[in-house]
Amino acid sequence: MKFVEKQAPDETLDLVCRMCPMHLLEPGDKIKCMKKGQILEVLTDYDGALDDIPAWCEKCGHEFIGMEEEDDCYKLYIRKAK
Amino acid sequence: MQIVYMDHAASTPVRREVLEEMLPFFQERFGNPSAIYDIGIDIKGVIEDQREKVANLIGAEAKEIVFTSSGAEANNLAVKGAVLANRKKGNHIIVSTIEHHSVLNAARFFERMMDYEVTFLPVNNYGLVDPQRLAELVREETVLVSIMHGNNEIGTIEPISGLAAICRDKGVLFHTDAVATVGNIPVNVKDLNVDMLSLTGPPLGAPKGIGALYFRSNTRLMPLIHGGIQEMGRRGGTENVPGIVGLGKAAELTLNELPEKTKHVKNLKDRLVSGIMDRIEEITYTGHPENRLPGHASFCIAAIEGEALLLMLNQAGIYANTGSACASKALKISPVLVAIGVPAEIAQGSIVFTLDRDNTAPEVDYILEKLPAVVERLRSFSPLWKKNI
Amino acid sequence: MYSEKVMDHFMNPRNVGTLEDADGIGEVGNPVCGDMMTFYIKVRDDKIDDIKFNTFGCAAAIAVSSMVSEMAKGKTLKDARAITKDSVAAALEGLPKQKMHCSNLGAEALTKAIENYEKKNSA
Repeated sequence: MKFVEKQAPDETLDLVCRMCPMHLLEPGDKIKCMKKGQILEVLTDYDGALDDIPAWCEKCGHEFIGMEEEDDCYKLYIRKAK
Repeated sequence: MQIVYMDHAASTPVRREVLEEMLPFFQERFGNPSAIYDIGIDIKGVIEDQREKVANLIGAEAKEIVFTSSGAEANNLAVKGAVLANRKKGNHIIVSTIEHHSVLNAARFFERMMDYEVTFLPVNNYGLVDPQRLAELVREETVLVSIMHGNNEIGTIEPISGLAAICRDKGVLFHTDAVATVGNIPVNVKDLNVDMLSLTGPPLGAPKGIGALYFRSNTRLMPLIHGGIQEMGRRGGTENVPGIVGLGKAAELTLNELPEKTKHVKNLKDRLVSGIMDRIEEITYTGHPENRLPGHASFCIAAIEGEALLLMLNQAGIYANTGSACASKALKISPVLVAIGVPAEIAQGSIVFTLDRDNTAPEVDYILEKLPAVVERLRSFSPLWKKNI
Repeated sequence: MYSEKVMDHFMNPRNVGTLEDADGIGEVGNPVCGDMMTFYIKVRDDKIDDIKFNTFGCAAAIAVSSMVSEMAKGKTLKDARAITKDSVAAALEGLPKQKMHCSNLGAEALTKAIENYEKKNSA
């Protein structure tokens, strides 16, 4: 896993307390409304997201930038590629 | 015999337009909204349309609405959901002393089971919360403040926007139980400045068994019902499609008709209140005289008891309610009336009339004719009434 | 919720009122807890010759008072004292469980009135 710091996201999705598969469905909807090159920040407390989100990015062709660990959640960063 | 129903806070009839809108969704359009074939996807779209209508009524966005089974569930989701989602922030909850049991007992649940501290914010004689007092009580560990918008027992409307602003400044989530107000007065979540707001179907002419919670975007909520992706994962379980359609239709009708309804019920209520105050001695009009629900009239009548009063009115075809809880079987005296400082023996004689669009002036006059005689008769039995002492 | 008998005695209670020259007065309950009953009795030849009551309380409390007054009227003091919450409830064709305390209050108020009479006449 790639760790990053001080990202400046264009949009944030707070998915803390939300269960699988919302950690994939919501970013999918959200990123459709964003522009190429913009960064989406996903907040989640679901461990499975650490595998799923990078895999999902690869499948959809978006860039997975990395993650930062917070006290109460993970922050995952995705750059819209197309 | 004439029948006069003035207990609309307890239940209302479903509006005909609402029922007609709902009916197809019991049989012809029965598909599961989560299904991927046409008759499912179609229903999913119907649900999203209703979400939009409910959001419109309260000035919210559709994605900020989650449908629930009732106002009580919406209150539970707000209190438990927000407190559980923010458990790392702290362990302090503030609620007013006159909240509905679904808020009070949800807060007490954390107090009893999980080592939380709950502060019960007192109210004055009109039932109003003091903003200054709230500001003093909010602290670092406070995770949630929940104060109701309108009280169904005394009719008082709380100054929510000011209370919510105090919490916003301090970074504390604010929830309001608007079950008594949405459908009876204009309610706008932006004006009220709240993070969460509960509403229910019946005051709008929708059926029982459907309610909703508004939550500001990105408010963290732990689901109470874990399940699938229904309600965006915030509430599992196949959706109550007919109920949701009913709530959507009722919200749409309410948006258009609310000013007219409010004026109508307020006129009738004013006539009822002044008529009762003129005809019955030793009676107290409870709650705030102006800042109150337009169709809500509540009184405490000295030297008689509420349940006896209701039953005798029932014999005259008049259906009302009482806060004196002999009728509710739980407690002798209403905690709300105690909270506003009504002496216990006076609180026994509580009676509440809640009016709606279908009530009429002749119905009010019928009550004005019957109620004084019933009161006089019960007082003639009472050892507390001055003429018997 | 209530039997027809309870509703009848609630809507048309028998023997409501006070007796100015009562031989015994019994008062139970208080308005804060919810029910209050005052019984007035006239005694002649060891029998309850006349009885009146005032009651503040729910429908059950009023019906119980009425029934107690009817049951006691004409009875000897000894027989009147034998009226219990169960016999009153039975005469009313049953009371909801949470209202049984009303029944108790009725029997208690009558007993107090009799004791008050006996105390006055034992001197």
